[in-house]
Amino acid sequence: MTGVAVDVARLREEIRTKYVEVVEHPDTTFHFHTGLRAAANAGYLDGWLEGLPKSSIASFAGVANPFHWGLPRSGERVVDVGSGTGMDAMVAANAVGVDGRVIGVDMTPEMLERAREGAEEADILNVEFREGFAEQLPVEDGWADVVISNGVINLVPDKLGAYREIARVLKPGGRVQIADICVERPVPESALRDIDLWTG
Amino acid sequence: MIEGAGLAEVEFGPIVDTFGGAGGEDSARQFGTYGYPIRAMKP
Repeated sequence: MTGVAVDVARLREEIRTKYVEVVEHPDTTFHFHTGLRAAANAGYLDGWLEGLPKSSIASFAGVANPFHWGLPRSGERVVDVGSGTGMDAMVAANAVGVDGRVIGVDMTPEMLERAREGAEEADILNVEFREGFAEQLPVEDGWADVVISNGVINLVPDKLGAYREIARVLKPGGRVQIADICVERPVPESALRDIDLWTG
Repeated sequence: MIEGAGLAEVEFGPIVDTFGGAGGEDSARQFGTYGYPIRAMKP
């Protein structure tokens, strides 16, 4: 594992706690926008969200638009790294259609449960949600045409490891379309070790 | 880092003021933190 400045187990627990709170209380004020406001701020088109469960949209906490360059194409296989309650995975599933497949991966059982409930409610059958870490994706080598992710890699302690995993699960010629936050100014070492700044 | 993982043709899309108007705006401004769409491909 590379580039880790914090206690990984503690960081993951803090992230789990924060995002479970988003799911259970999406109308609370967080350090980030949630729901439709977050989606609109990121540039999502309203049509992408039609038919998706309100609960899945309400707990969306993406930071930008992984579909800026376009939705996955019909029949493609997509992996969503850090799929949360599944909104992006369901958008991708609707885009790839019945001949495509989507695998959402998340480390938090509560998120996986909500995502599965949401897909069932929306009658989206070509998506499944698996438990795992970004640095150890539970997906076979070369399976995906596209890997998406939204606001997740910045929370992963081993970012290079996560990108290596993304490369592993992609087919040659496959695409990465992620959204994430970047900093314009150097972050002091003390801040890198401050878990509160990682999560909020 | 992305290229170091074996990906290529990395491109950033338009900047998003992710935290503008949200509770984390002050902290985001401190470090110049914004959202971006990012794409790359596996050769």
